[in-house]
Amino acid sequence: MKTGLGATMVRAGRRLLSSLPALFGVLVFTFLLMRVLPGDPAVFFASGPNAGKEEIELIRKQMGLDKSVPEQLVFYLSDIGRGNLGRSMMTGQPVLKDLRERLPASLELTFTALLIALIAAVPLGVVAALRPGSAVDHGVRLFCALGVCVPTFVSGLLLIYVFYYLLGLAPDPTGRIDVFTSLPPSRTGFLSIDFLLAGDFEGWWAACKQLILPAVSMALFVIAPLARITRASMLVSLGSDFVRTARSVGLSWHKVVVTYALRNAILPVITIAGIVFSTMLGANVLVEKVFSWPGVASYALDALLSSDYAPVQGFVLLMAGIFVLVNLIVDVCYGIADPRVSIE
Amino acid sequence: MRFVSFRPAAGVLATTALLLIATAPSQAQTRAETLRYVTGASVNTLDPNIPGSTRESFALSMSTYDRLVAFGRKQLNGKWVFDLDTITGELAESYDVSPDGLKITFRLRKDAKFQDGSPVTAEDVKWSLDRCVTAPILGKAQLLTGSLTSADQFKVIDPLTIEVTLPKPDKLALPNLATVYPMIINSKVAKEHATADDPWATAWLKEHTAGSGAYVVETFKPGEQVMLKRDEAWNRGSANKPAFFKRVIIQSVPEPATRANLVERGDADIVVDLQASDVQSLEAKGKLKVISTPQYNAITFVSMNNQMPPFDNVNVRRAIAYALPYDDMFKAALFGRGSPLFGATWADGKPANGIYPFQQPVKLDLDKAREYLKAAGLPEGFSTTFSFNVGQASTAEPMAALVKESLGKIGIKVDIQKLPDAQMSTQINEKKLPFYTEGIVAWLPSTDYFYRNFYTGNQRWNYSSINNPDLAAIAQEARFEPDKAKYEEAGRKLNAMHFDLMPQVMLWQPNQDAVMASSVEGYTYEFHRQVDYRDVSRK
Repeated sequence: MKTGLGATMVRAGRRLLSSLPALFGVLVFTFLLMRVLPGDPAVFFASGPNAGKEEIELIRKQMGLDKSVPEQLVFYLSDIGRGNLGRSMMTGQPVLKDLRERLPASLELTFTALLIALIAAVPLGVVAALRPGSAVDHGVRLFCALGVCVPTFVSGLLLIYVFYYLLGLAPDPTGRIDVFTSLPPSRTGFLSIDFLLAGDFEGWWAACKQLILPAVSMALFVIAPLARITRASMLVSLGSDFVRTARSVGLSWHKVVVTYALRNAILPVITIAGIVFSTMLGANVLVEKVFSWPGVASYALDALLSSDYAPVQGFVLLMAGIFVLVNLIVDVCYGIADPRVSIE
Repeated sequence: MRFVSFRPAAGVLATTALLLIATAPSQAQTRAETLRYVTGASVNTLDPNIPGSTRESFALSMSTYDRLVAFGRKQLNGKWVFDLDTITGELAESYDVSPDGLKITFRLRKDAKFQDGSPVTAEDVKWSLDRCVTAPILGKAQLLTGSLTSADQFKVIDPLTIEVTLPKPDKLALPNLATVYPMIINSKVAKEHATADDPWATAWLKEHTAGSGAYVVETFKPGEQVMLKRDEAWNRGSANKPAFFKRVIIQSVPEPATRANLVERGDADIVVDLQASDVQSLEAKGKLKVISTPQYNAITFVSMNNQMPPFDNVNVRRAIAYALPYDDMFKAALFGRGSPLFGATWADGKPANGIYPFQQPVKLDLDKAREYLKAAGLPEGFSTTFSFNVGQASTAEPMAALVKESLGKIGIKVDIQKLPDAQMSTQINEKKLPFYTEGIVAWLPSTDYFYRNFYTGNQRWNYSSINNPDLAAIAQEARFEPDKAKYEEAGRKLNAMHFDLMPQVMLWQPNQDAVMASSVEGYTYEFHRQVDYRDVSRK
């Protein structure tokens, strides 16, 4: 038997290889799906007041739609091979450039939202588990139910209405940064990090203020699953033998609940958090729209509505890639945490 | 047991509250000199000629490039609108039209400079106009409507004089040169970036500007925002001084409710694409200035495919025209914000004048509609679908429901079909939709132009697919009619035919509701239906 780390690496490599056919399948499937959908992008984009047949043909040629579908597929695949995702008609930019600029915006928002959700959900779940059936437990349940029931765009609009419109505390909800603030040199694409690297704390503050409302409205929606899972696994953990033993030997409350019970209960929460993260990244389109957040999801939706093939294909490929990556990371983590997983 | 774990939660709340407090108003001084314009759409190219360019791109190019000439403005019911009949010089100091109408000579301003400081010459003008009629770009189809089709028509007389020759005296030639596309480009700069495949530098000009306009592009983030800086040397405005605002920010804010909040809070200065309901409530509050101009070069229709049964029968189309609940639709879709094109009274049964669009003498009259259905041989009614696109759902959805209800009363069963925008335009282009609502706009709204482009030929903009040789002939002849009285007569004839044939039902001209801070002045409704940033100033 190989050493633990080596085995994990081999496993990871094998997993990566086995995900390639799936990625290829996604690629071809999205490509065909876009072509099967009714709606001719050339006609849509040739909508100037005088655009006639000639303009439509021109755009069709520009988008490569004058060729047969198999030919288009071959060209598309060879382009992908060279790292070219095509050009968006909507923004007029190469899709790769658009995605590279927009992905950090989405990631920053999703990470922040997940962080807020975890910070709020874990204590709520623990509190509920400590007094099951009490008023506190019901209060947490009500809060979670409300969070799930209110769609993110409604909570987003409500937050804007209260904090921006009525109270004037939040900055205007128009994207990642106040239009009057100058941007830091782009290193990571995450504004909150770039500002820190540039040593511009005022800018960092401005970026954080823009981030809070959208992140909170996204977090509200995912607090429920996280809190419920925390509560359930805390209940199991609190009722287990080792906690009873710890209590009986008179360990402090803090040590019993936090060190023994919570540490054992947190594993399923992390698994769920991974799933929640993947879903949020693709599904935060409404929040992005409401807060004019320049992220990938709203970009893909706009492209889909106007049948702009290249961005939609690029977006699906990106999401598939991220899913594969997240799964891989989870896999590697499992292997490290529990060596038994590596034995085949 | 005590709940120690409350601590982090309380901490989060405290931090959140702290973070939200105090937005620093440190830019107050430059703010007054900045115009912040928010829109649901976005700028996607710096050259409006690129196929697929958006209306926001059109508006941007008006400020970054100059043209030879520009439209003047006039007051219509107390509101400023563009004036098709007054053409003033922009880069041209003056122009002369020869008595036979075949030659237009432009003399350029001596002091006009491109943004890089080099003078604007007749060579640049020729290169730019050549590009417009030669390169595979949008300008080609537009200039065609003004008989400008070939590079041979543009001749450099001397460095400051250029002559345009026309095959026929076409009254739309001059107005065409004031539209978005024939902008004057710095040919020296553009040629440096031209390639063998792309001799007109379309790829480079998409991302860069080389013009002589009032504003210089500072940053351009497609789909997000564009920042403009004033060109201090520009003097093509009316008072020979640069544009008022030092900076212009054009920002995409997709959510209409957020746009309304921004302008109400004073964070945005002007917006033209709010929902009718928001405009109404903002107007009622009275804090902001709301300028509502009927878009007199745009029309919303209920169209019927004249080649497809049962709508190929004129009596069916007439029945529909009398079965639409106009007033309810107008209120539900637009909150009455627009000018109606229904409910006229024609005293002697003839059109009041030869101007298109016009108010038709139609109104909701179900008995009359039933009679027409009977005359069409369909007394029991029929089934059909009524389509509209998702992009217009906020106005078209309530409208469609009312159409369905009202037509149901005379036995016509309507299925409502909501189509994604691209799908809708494809189906219209392929002439597959029987019954739907759509809108049109013409930059150069003259009667013959409307009839030629929207009522003739087997092409996309002929929504009703009407194929009437008489109508086409009259419209074609009117195009080159120099005599005003005869032109008016032709217009009356066309309008009478429209009412008789009822190819489609004109509903209304929606308002352009420009909502702005009370300090913003000078807003003018332009042919491209966007804000021209050069028009506006702050008190």
